[in-house]
Amino acid sequence: MSRKKAVKGKGSSKSPKASPSSGRDGGRTGKGLAAAAAPSSGLVYPSRPSLSNSGEFYDISFKVMLVGDSGVGKTCLLVRFKDGAFLAGSFISTVGIDFRNKVMSIDAVKVKLQIWDTAGQERFRSVTHAYYRDANALLLLYDVTNKASFDNIRAWLTEIHEYAQQDVVVMLLGNKADSTHDRVVKREEGEKLAKEFGVPFMETSAKSGLNVELAFTAVAKELKHRTMKEPDEPKFQLKEYVDKEMRTAGCCRS
Amino acid sequence: MEKKNQAINRTRSPADDDGRAKDRVGSVDPYGFERSEDFDYESHEELMSEYLVVLTRRCIKWSKLLKGKSKVQKNVKLKRYVRKGIPNEHRALVWMSASGAQDQLEKNPGYFQSLLGAQHDPKLVETICTDLNRTFPDNVQFRKTSNPCLQKALYNVLLAYGHHNQTVGYCQGMNFIAGYLLIITKDEEKSFWLMDALLGRILPDYYSPAMLGLKTDQEVLGELVKAKVPRVWQTMVDHNVMWTLVVSRWFICLYIDVLPVETVLRIWDCLFYEGSKILFRVALTLIHHNEALIQQAHSLPDVCQNFKQITHGPFVDECHTFMQKIFTEPGSLSTATLTKLRATCRSRIIAEES
Repeated sequence: MSRKKAVKGKGSSKSPKASPSSGRDGGRTGKGLAAAAAPSSGLVYPSRPSLSNSGEFYDISFKVMLVGDSGVGKTCLLVRFKDGAFLAGSFISTVGIDFRNKVMSIDAVKVKLQIWDTAGQERFRSVTHAYYRDANALLLLYDVTNKASFDNIRAWLTEIHEYAQQDVVVMLLGNKADSTHDRVVKREEGEKLAKEFGVPFMETSAKSGLNVELAFTAVAKELKHRTMKEPDEPKFQLKEYVDKEMRTAGCCRS
Repeated sequence: MEKKNQAINRTRSPADDDGRAKDRVGSVDPYGFERSEDFDYESHEELMSEYLVVLTRRCIKWSKLLKGKSKVQKNVKLKRYVRKGIPNEHRALVWMSASGAQDQLEKNPGYFQSLLGAQHDPKLVETICTDLNRTFPDNVQFRKTSNPCLQKALYNVLLAYGHHNQTVGYCQGMNFIAGYLLIITKDEEKSFWLMDALLGRILPDYYSPAMLGLKTDQEVLGELVKAKVPRVWQTMVDHNVMWTLVVSRWFICLYIDVLPVETVLRIWDCLFYEGSKILFRVALTLIHHNEALIQQAHSLPDVCQNFKQITHGPFVDECHTFMQKIFTEPGSLSTATLTKLRATCRSRIIAEES
């Protein structure tokens, strides 16, 4: 993977004697200027390579938002993707809005995903939806063990259409697919809803890791192709890619 | 807490290594929170050896002042005492008394229990339950295996409050506040009435569905920063950062999980005694003190990252010095100014939203 600098968010900032941001500034000199000119669309075209906040170099950057009802597993999904870990019962409910970066390698291009994690409770939406308009992609989650979270997907999509950019990439994710005993939303129901709204769909599990990498990779690929497509290159088919790569939960699928 | 600290305060030889500091300090703090993996035991021990002297002095003074009384009279002397920190053993009493929660409890005997006995709104129950396991999983007192387990108490306090104040019901963030109240008071009914004091009288309407009080105070902070730390305000404008992005959690959680536990409790001492102005003093101090760092940001994520960074480190760990700074560093902040700003910002938001 790409070079990683020593300075990394939380750990360093907690060390009392660490001089703030010296490491980051060192890495930034002469390289970070292009990133400073980030347009408000959330798209960044730095003169390559640029240094991301977590200290990794990247070529292009996109803003992805995780949305969905409270408790569907947005933070868990993000942490599984970012750190490859699932620590049951170690997360606190997200209040407000937070973000983490991850740099992925997509067809030899370093793509930085700036992933925004939001509070799911309805009243927080009036605080967070102001940020939809800057998002390049939205991952909309429901919990397959919680019918209400699935029923609310329509409301979420309405909200997304109202506040997000026209060409925003939306993907529907049915999370907690590992919970076979508690499942109340069938996979087919998710597929049907996704089809109705014309968005790609997959089931995920932050616990087992099922399709977590794929969900973010698919989004990153789509965004990268949109930005860097050669004139004679065929359009990237997000849905086909997802259908081809997707693994399904359990063995019971007919 | 004091006992533990006295053990720390024994003469130490310079040869004491980090592992030994870890043994002396313990991996769980006095409130039940497990210390993080990267916790700096040596620095903490050093800090506590100094803070213990302060705590002991304050303890003696408070004991003389209270002399076994169960209520306190608000006056200039008490205000000064509160700003210098309420010893943990007296916290529940002073918070209850100064906030008016004690009066409410006495005027409404059995009310809390009656709320728990009444029919429960299933939607409220479900919303609260979603957050029970997600409230302080790093605190041993909130584990299902602990006895007593504060998780059940947390449920009761939130459920009772949701029925008591149906406009608010339950809002995320209240779980953390109720959790802290339970850790300090170790009593459901007292925690309930302290919630009532905070949400009903001390704080603006942060938690109601429209969150108008929160939106207002975020804007008010922006105005104060514009006046007092204009270069930071300019940085926010340059990178198109809305205040909600960096400070909503500060206000909603009343600095829980933002600042160190001990610092939060010291802030709350003043919050219960003096009111919500203290939240601005804390925010302005953090921002003013870290003006240079915030300005170094090159992008919106940079700004967010720096706002996270300024809530960690020795400046906020040293709670006694920090609490002195909040009354000097941001300069004057009159109640009149705040009231006026809140009114202006509120009408602006209402006009924008309509």
